[in-house]
Amino acid sequence: MHPDLKGLTTIIMAGGKGERLYPLTRNQAKPAITFGGLYRIIDFTLSNCLNSGIRRIYVLTQYGGFSLDRHLRQAWDLMHPDLGEFIYSMPPQQIMVDRWYRGTADSIYQNLTLLEEERPRQVLILSGDHVYKMDYLEMLDFHLSRDADMTVAAVMVPRREAGSFGVLKVDQAAAVQNFLEKPPDPPGLPEAPDFSLASMGVYLFRAEVLVHEVIRDAKKKTSKHDFGADIIPQMVGRKKVFAFNFQDAEGRPRYWRDIGLLDAYFKAHLDLLGARPTFDLFDPEWPLRSLSLRLPPSKYLSRRGAPVSVADSLIACGCVLDGAAVKRSVLSPGVKVGKGARVEEAILWDRVQVGPGAVVRRAVIEDGVKVPPGFTIGVDRERDARRFPVTEEGLVVVPNNVILEE
Amino acid sequence: MKRILVVDDDDAIRTLLQDELTDEGYEVLTATNARDALKMVENEPLDLVVLDIRMPGMDGLEALPRILGMKEGLPVILNTAYSQYKESFMSWAADAYVVKSSDLSELKAKVKELI
Repeated sequence: MHPDLKGLTTIIMAGGKGERLYPLTRNQAKPAITFGGLYRIIDFTLSNCLNSGIRRIYVLTQYGGFSLDRHLRQAWDLMHPDLGEFIYSMPPQQIMVDRWYRGTADSIYQNLTLLEEERPRQVLILSGDHVYKMDYLEMLDFHLSRDADMTVAAVMVPRREAGSFGVLKVDQAAAVQNFLEKPPDPPGLPEAPDFSLASMGVYLFRAEVLVHEVIRDAKKKTSKHDFGADIIPQMVGRKKVFAFNFQDAEGRPRYWRDIGLLDAYFKAHLDLLGARPTFDLFDPEWPLRSLSLRLPPSKYLSRRGAPVSVADSLIACGCVLDGAAVKRSVLSPGVKVGKGARVEEAILWDRVQVGPGAVVRRAVIEDGVKVPPGFTIGVDRERDARRFPVTEEGLVVVPNNVILEE
Repeated sequence: MKRILVVDDDDAIRTLLQDELTDEGYEVLTATNARDALKMVENEPLDLVVLDIRMPGMDGLEALPRILGMKEGLPVILNTAYSQYKESFMSWAADAYVVKSSDLSELKAKVKELI
């Protein structure tokens, strides 16, 4: 183990309700949502931890906690507590107070007893709903080299797009001077004025400073108890707060996506596709792991007059594509697509069945949905909107609590 | 008149604090254990709590976050014979930490400062 990791406790916050991803979050936590065919969103953060050498992880759950707990047991039961390694799923304990978590900072405050037991030197706080590949050790080195009280990971975004993020104003030495939540006029970077630094919701704290700051925040009546909105502004000017710019060796921003909206969920899937995808799942340097399934290989059947065609897609195991055309799509395990059916820019979750002759375009279909033969989704927007949620950008979401009729 | 709740299982200390703080011009309520104290925090208007740590049953460090959870911003002074609890993260949630002594001037000064 890297010596700096010995005093590190890692906490993944995974309790948010994810209302903006409704209906996908109606019965599960956002980090438990299927992503990229095989994964759950939290798998990216957990894979990052493993690839960074981190083996001591608390996952704080709340809303829809069972969905996450089950996934952690099924897919991530690989630590050896006798060697001091663990991934523990923690619902609110209600030991200190009789309430749910009021915000991200409150979730740490309510777990002070846990930090008391661990007595770490540094605490790494992560979110369970981001897609990225990050070596947290690089951030820890930066944090320790600056002797920082808090380091906020941040990614450069074009200044004109930065208004939808929490933006950090920094000086030449990367010291944070201000935090602005969704600013109308985002500040540019000193060395790159056309770019702003967006907070990634990834924080490293000197443990004792974290404890003092969440206690201070817990006593504020007006606080939303949020790391971005409350803790960073409360610390700026009083404490040593730095921004860690998440960039590559050439100074370009690295890939990071907050899966906050349905359209963002969809677009992040398109980033997985193509010969040189923006976000590569096939990276030998950075393995991304999830639940491994014992399913047969996928089967593609060409029929006379109905040859199977698959282009720019990710197809998981156990799928059967029978004389179907699948393009720019992501299929989870066990999906069946019938003869003459066309699937384009669609995300099909586990065991979705698309009947012969059906058409599915720009849609997310939840697990187990049976699309009847000849049925169309994503073709007639008005008709779709009468049955399903349709986003501003025209994405159709088909939840699995509806029955589709021919 | 400002109201102070003194929580201590030791009769002598409770009486001493009640007398001394009453002389300082405060109205003083007392509780002999943490559970009674929590009920009083919930039901009584209070301006400050003086809280012992080592008590039978629920101790002061368990009661502290519960007090703060019920009445955000209510000042709490931990008043204990032991200094080692200063290391405990939970004790940091108190507004002051006073080690018990026969000289009450430090406690009185903290009360004055916080109330």
